Amino acid sequence: MKKLEWSALGTVIGIVLLFASAIFVTLWAPEHIDPSWKQASSTYQEQMYTVSDPNVYISTSNPGGAGLQYVYHLKRGFTALAFQESEVIRIMAPPELQTYITHLEDQKLKLTTRLLLLRRPVAKDLEKTFREKLGGDQYYEIYELYDPKLEEAFAVTETDGVIENWSDHFQLMGDQPPYYTEKGVIYVSNPKEYTVSKRNLQGNEYWLYNENGEPVRDFKELTQGRLKFLSRKALIDMGENIYRIEGCWYCHTDQTRTLVQDTVLNGAPDYPAPPSSANEYIYQRVTFPGTRRIGPDISRVGIKRPHRDWHMSHFWSPQSESKGSVMPTFTHFFDKDPTGSPQNPYTVPNYKFEAIFQYLMTKGTRILPPTEAWWLGKDPIQTIDIIEGVGQHDR
Amino acid sequence: MHNDKPVKEMIYPAVLFLIIGLFIGVFISYNGFLAPNSFTGEYVSFGRVRPVHVGSVAILWLLSVDMGLIYYLVPRLAGSPLWSVKLATVTTWIWWPSAALGIFSYPLGTNFGWEYAEFPMMIARIIPIKGLMTVAWILFAVNIFMTVMRRRHKQMYVSLWYALGTLIWASFTFVVGNFVIQWVPQGISRVNTSFFYVHNLVGLIFTPLGLAIAYYFIPKISKTPIYSHRLSMVGFWSIAFFYAWIGAHHMLHGPESQWLQTTSIIFSMWLIIPVWTVVTNLFGTVKRGWQMYSKSAALRFLTMGVAFYLIVCMQGSLQSLRNVNEIISKTDWIIGHAHMSLLGTFTFFAIGGVYYVVPKITGKPLWSEKMANTHFTLALTGSILMFLSLWIGGFHQGLMWASWGTGSTYAQFHENLSRLPFLLTIEKMWWWWLVRTVSGIIILAGCTIFAVNIFNTIILDRRVKVHEKA
Repeated sequence: MKKLEWSALGTVIGIVLLFASAIFVTLWAPEHIDPSWKQASSTYQEQMYTVSDPNVYISTSNPGGAGLQYVYHLKRGFTALAFQESEVIRIMAPPELQTYITHLEDQKLKLTTRLLLLRRPVAKDLEKTFREKLGGDQYYEIYELYDPKLEEAFAVTETDGVIENWSDHFQLMGDQPPYYTEKGVIYVSNPKEYTVSKRNLQGNEYWLYNENGEPVRDFKELTQGRLKFLSRKALIDMGENIYRIEGCWYCHTDQTRTLVQDTVLNGAPDYPAPPSSANEYIYQRVTFPGTRRIGPDISRVGIKRPHRDWHMSHFWSPQSESKGSVMPTFTHFFDKDPTGSPQNPYTVPNYKFEAIFQYLMTKGTRILPPTEAWWLGKDPIQTIDIIEGVGQHDR
Repeated sequence: MHNDKPVKEMIYPAVLFLIIGLFIGVFISYNGFLAPNSFTGEYVSFGRVRPVHVGSVAILWLLSVDMGLIYYLVPRLAGSPLWSVKLATVTTWIWWPSAALGIFSYPLGTNFGWEYAEFPMMIARIIPIKGLMTVAWILFAVNIFMTVMRRRHKQMYVSLWYALGTLIWASFTFVVGNFVIQWVPQGISRVNTSFFYVHNLVGLIFTPLGLAIAYYFIPKISKTPIYSHRLSMVGFWSIAFFYAWIGAHHMLHGPESQWLQTTSIIFSMWLIIPVWTVVTNLFGTVKRGWQMYSKSAALRFLTMGVAFYLIVCMQGSLQSLRNVNEIISKTDWIIGHAHMSLLGTFTFFAIGGVYYVVPKITGKPLWSEKMANTHFTLALTGSILMFLSLWIGGFHQGLMWASWGTGSTYAQFHENLSRLPFLLTIEKMWWWWLVRTVSGIIILAGCTIFAVNIFNTIILDRRVKVHEKA
């Protein structure tokens, strides 16, 4: 430049300074001032995303089947396990394993990271004497606790696949799980080894969960071939991608605002939904707070609409589930059922549906541990008191 | 005297994309709202096509045509030719394919997931869409900046200030909203960054570009000097100071920190200052050359744009008040507001500019003044119908939602919701949505006349003069 242009250069410098000050205060400062922008909302939330999701594997229970199979990947020295008796379940064990059983009268839950499993008793005579010792007329389901002497195992357990077992009142038997906190840990209750029987019907390979089937040997078998399991983490990530590319977020918001109408819209029958807080979103790569509600808000959908069947028929035909809805049909979330016929063309949900379903089920279900569930009225910020104070009174 | 090849290369395709974008808008307003699922399938569902409408009209039409008009007015205000016409051609050849490919690939599943920043990083694994768009913008910025630096006229007219400001703001904003957002912490920090980008795209890119255009063409057409140079400086510097602070007002009542929400509200209110000065200045200018208003469709577009600018900015400030926001936020009101800014204000400015510029750069008179008049009537009627239907419908819906909070116990609130379920508040929007679609068709018809008129001028008209007067 031959001649320095002061008016042009001054304009540029002025603009940059003003702009930088705004960036400093509105973009850089908030996450340093407000810790909730980066910290998890609870240790439950943190463990769900970092411990549970990568270790829970999901697949449709068999090709054409309607249900889901949840399989837990257990690791010795890592996964916290509990072996709990209940009104109908009794557990027998060799003497050295007796200590791991939580009996009904026990005050604290016993947790261990030793890799043990339950199975139907192998020795029938021992089972008989055990049952006789229990006495009474009640029928009990008897399981045997045993040490499979494995480093890792695939197991099934009673679960809804959305909310995991959580204990803040427990007794550790042996080593701590690496994710141990005093506030509580996620654990797997009464795991049984996951076994399947594989079939081949008219050229279609399929499989069924079968207590007497063969165990799944390794990851390759679990995730490839006919079983096709995916971790819940992978499904949630895929679900986020689908939510993104389908543009769901142009019509659905993902935030319960600090307004009475929002806490009511998203509330359970008896309790309002707590407003969304910043830390609910920290495990998402893309967050979709949204700007328009052409459909209802989804930030509490895991509680409002927990049923997979409802979502299946809703994605297939929104108008038949929700009269007056303008939602597009999502038939590409479904494949033709291999067991259907041209006269009777059944469809089955494909991985896209499973992914979006798992993603939606994270909404509102992970803020605090199930022991502090807002939908049971245990919301610590007491949204109900606040909104009953500020609701507009009848005019 | 000036080589206007770059102007043509930006404006002509932009006019085509305007028609395409409007057509897609009409299509989604029908298929998404009036008769949902008339056309079904993965690639035509509302969520996949909506960003194509927004991208086409906002980027392929509005931003591109604004760049074309900047190529026109900066050399003339600087009194020296564009720094490099060759560089401008290279810019154009990077800009058009990358922006168009990026935007039209959304239905195939390339949406990046942040509003107004849907451009994919990569297409087909090898075409870095966003990188190319950024390179094109920076080349454009360098070209304009160098032209201003080497100007012959010492005095810098306000349009040049706005042009320079946009070059800097847009480069920062685009990089932050499209790239940096991936490196900030996950969650609300990213949301905050995204709304910073969303608001600055309108406030620090479309606004200064639009005002640069209005400040240049309104005095030109009404043949009067600008009403007040001092006011234009106040307007410019207050925009530079206030706009970048207010992104968070898109998240009022949301999960962002309260102090940040309050900050954004305060700065939103202060925005009344630049708006008032700009509007006073531009209307003051038109007033002195009022007789031109009835003679020139271009001036009518520009003047109506100023009127809409006043309304949309007043709305913007008031909408950020918490109690107003409670009712109108997340409803069609916001869609109406967004259309008033990008369609009512900045598209009207750009159309006014195009009507003025095309005869100058082709050396041919406009094909038909009558068609331009019809276009103005249709555009104005359609726009007002669209804004009103969206505002009234949205306001009504917001009131219905707020009515759930009537009473004093949760049981009453829940009872309100079961008597007026969410879906009922959607059903009640149908008639407003019908008006919206009709208004969209009217606007599309008007702009089709515009495109025909412009291309007839370019192709069919006979050249009457070789050189324009500077």
